[in-house]
Amino acid sequence: MSIVLDQVTKHYGGAPVVNDVSLDIGDGEFFVLLGPSGSGKSTLLRAIAGLSGIDHGRISLHGRDVTHVAARRRGVGLVFQNYALFRHMTVAENIEFALRVRRMRARARRQRREELLRLVSLEGLDERLPAQLSGGQQQRVAVARALAHKPEVLLLDEPFGALDAKIREELRGTIRQVQRELGITTVLVTHDQEEAFAMADRIGVMNLGRLLERGAPHELYSRPATRFVATFLGAANLILARRTADGIQIGATIVAPTERASNGRENEVVAVVRPEEIEVAATREALRCGFLARGVVESVMFTGALERLRLSLAGGPHTPLLTLGEGAAGAALQVTRTQYEQRLFEVQPGQSVAIGVRRIHVLPTPLSSFTACAPTVQEAEELSRQPLLVELAARMATRIATRCEPQLGQPGVPCQGTDSFVGTTVIAANPQSAARADWLLRCGARDLLVLPEAARAPQRVLIHWIGEAARSATLAVSASVLRHVAAEAVYVGVFPEPQGGAQPRGMRELLDARSEAQAAHGLEMRTELHFGDAEQQLTRRLAESPAQMLIIGVEHPAQFTERFRALLVSGRWPVLIVHRGPA
Amino acid sequence: MSFRQPSNLPGFGLTFGFTTVFLSTIVLLPLAALVVTATSLHWSDFWHTVLSARALGSYRLSFGASLLAASINLVFGFIIAWTLVRYEFPGRKLIDALIDMPFALPTAVSGIALTTVFAQNGWIGRYLEPLGIKVAYTWLGVTLALTLISMPFAVRAVQPALLEVQRDLEDAAETLGAGRLYAFRRIILPAIAPALLTGFTLAFARAVGEYGSVIFISGNLPMKTEITPLLIVIHLEQFDYGGAAALGLVMLVISFVMLLTINLLQAWGRRDQVRAAR
Repeated sequence: MSIVLDQVTKHYGGAPVVNDVSLDIGDGEFFVLLGPSGSGKSTLLRAIAGLSGIDHGRISLHGRDVTHVAARRRGVGLVFQNYALFRHMTVAENIEFALRVRRMRARARRQRREELLRLVSLEGLDERLPAQLSGGQQQRVAVARALAHKPEVLLLDEPFGALDAKIREELRGTIRQVQRELGITTVLVTHDQEEAFAMADRIGVMNLGRLLERGAPHELYSRPATRFVATFLGAANLILARRTADGIQIGATIVAPTERASNGRENEVVAVVRPEEIEVAATREALRCGFLARGVVESVMFTGALERLRLSLAGGPHTPLLTLGEGAAGAALQVTRTQYEQRLFEVQPGQSVAIGVRRIHVLPTPLSSFTACAPTVQEAEELSRQPLLVELAARMATRIATRCEPQLGQPGVPCQGTDSFVGTTVIAANPQSAARADWLLRCGARDLLVLPEAARAPQRVLIHWIGEAARSATLAVSASVLRHVAAEAVYVGVFPEPQGGAQPRGMRELLDARSEAQAAHGLEMRTELHFGDAEQQLTRRLAESPAQMLIIGVEHPAQFTERFRALLVSGRWPVLIVHRGPA
Repeated sequence: MSFRQPSNLPGFGLTFGFTTVFLSTIVLLPLAALVVTATSLHWSDFWHTVLSARALGSYRLSFGASLLAASINLVFGFIIAWTLVRYEFPGRKLIDALIDMPFALPTAVSGIALTTVFAQNGWIGRYLEPLGIKVAYTWLGVTLALTLISMPFAVRAVQPALLEVQRDLEDAAETLGAGRLYAFRRIILPAIAPALLTGFTLAFARAVGEYGSVIFISGNLPMKTEITPLLIVIHLEQFDYGGAAALGLVMLVISFVMLLTINLLQAWGRRDQVRAAR
């Protein structure tokens, strides 16, 4: 491995800007770090270069641990967005800078310089000053300069940001070619997904300081694991669907008969449908793929090679669409069609059409939507406007429904609704919340969020589970939550007081939990080992700061609400209960 | 090349006319009057006045102390500017504002304040006295006063140039293997050299022309701590307008030659950028 990052974390003013990033980059690989501005990708690059220190974790380059090695001894070449050329030096002097520092002889320097200028096709410009060159030429000089001392790793920080489209294209080609020719391991940071697709062997997508997913470009595009990656890499329609025994069901239609619920248990899922995977036709019979619903064309936009349509689904306010269109009009399905498709079936705004789906991808995320649940409609509405819940739903690009359960929390009264609890049920934290949680869990609610009125966005999320059956689901839910909040994840393992001799069991479980979180869910978390009673230890840890959240896996709800009553009614921290009984 | 440069901006005639009239009235005319007054003297009287031992001593002090003050400000002004530009610390804005204080203070006040501190029984002077260091009423005091009043020029000239030196440049130098000192010497210093020189020039010019603060701290001993502007005032008080003008003329010529030299130096230093701009 050329570059190995292990749990790299960097805080800035309390909040993590790079949050537990672990990553292996192979020899000669071209790796692109992609993310919106402020996602921590540039900070991570600077950490690899050694220009900014890290608070936690290790960095090694070519098997050498460089965590505490100064930038100038790391053997990396760095190219900046604004070129950062030395303006008072000629092109030759700029390129030879690293060689001069190393006291290389003039003849060898000149030879190397000529070699580099040939590599970036700038022969003969040796004596120019940077100000006499175009932007593209300046960046070529910067690339040559960064390669002069034969670094083992080339780092590029948004190198095309300041260039216009055509030069950008050209320079992309040059850099890719140079990289292949030298076989140098390269990391490029960008916010431009097209650039990432064009250059990368592998892409890593960052958001809120976390490395969400990594993989080959086509893999990430066709099979994203998270909402963020699905919508950041290209356009995507997110649709709330149900996984039933017959397949994926959207509204009343089964669209993907192959994806069946495994144990016959229905659950809510988030499906990704790319705009180019949607077909429109006059009638259901004319479709050449699975029928989704009927809809109305809202707008038609011609953009050259492709035509963009916005369709509203028939079926009124209960549209399953999660991606909100611009404006208050609400959700609209985005569709792109080729010229050929346009000729086959022309559409006008206002026209009613049949909509079909060619390919659907179901996100593995366990959190689909929120349902604010309370005994009265008014309370439910109020709860659904809680700022943290609204923020969370907005970040997850999902919606908050409300549900009125008059019998909520009354002992001995069975749940009446025929409708099962799908998605994440939310209740307010108050003196009744323990009883209500118990009631809901018995009614079959699987993910239950107990939300205090004044809850803040957490900076730390504590993870714990009681019962091995809940373990995997808890990790999956935690991973999903932590993709959407900038918080550090801490698994708190609590074991009975050791009695005589050490207890190796606790340590092993901790390590297993960490590696499972990493391997199966892509979640990097710290681990802590405590001894004593789980409720006491968790409460003690929570009491350290109000900006925390607890995610707790539960196998048997009855014991749980009894033991954790105090924590559930305290109303100080949000508690997300993940209820999974034995299979 | 025609005298009039083609330009999209209107009003060349107006602005050029205004510049000429303004400069003539404010700068050239008084200077001409100085020269005319000086020529009212006989050649022998002129030489006698400007080459007298007392006059020569005052030139040495005026220009020597001014050069020294400007040099001190070159170093410490840079350090102050560096601190203000590069670091965030509580009270930074306050210190930034404090830099301009010598501008706003009547120079006589500065002189009196300095004398209070550095006189033999002053706050600092009393501790320097046993060490055999006398500040007030010596050339050291003169230098100190000139350093104080010319300091803002040095700081303010360097500050914007430092702001323009991007951190990226240092980062680039570091990843290329340069140590801090090397990066400073090869990257930062060349980038701000013109600004440093400008600061030096301004500080020097300001110091040469200073009068108010120096007369309080210098003690004004002829040949020892008497600056040329004071000598001019002494001539004026004796109604020797010709002599005063003659000394003024000498100061004018020396100052002009020095400033011109520095400007030429600067132009020579910038030739690369000028070439690049073409």
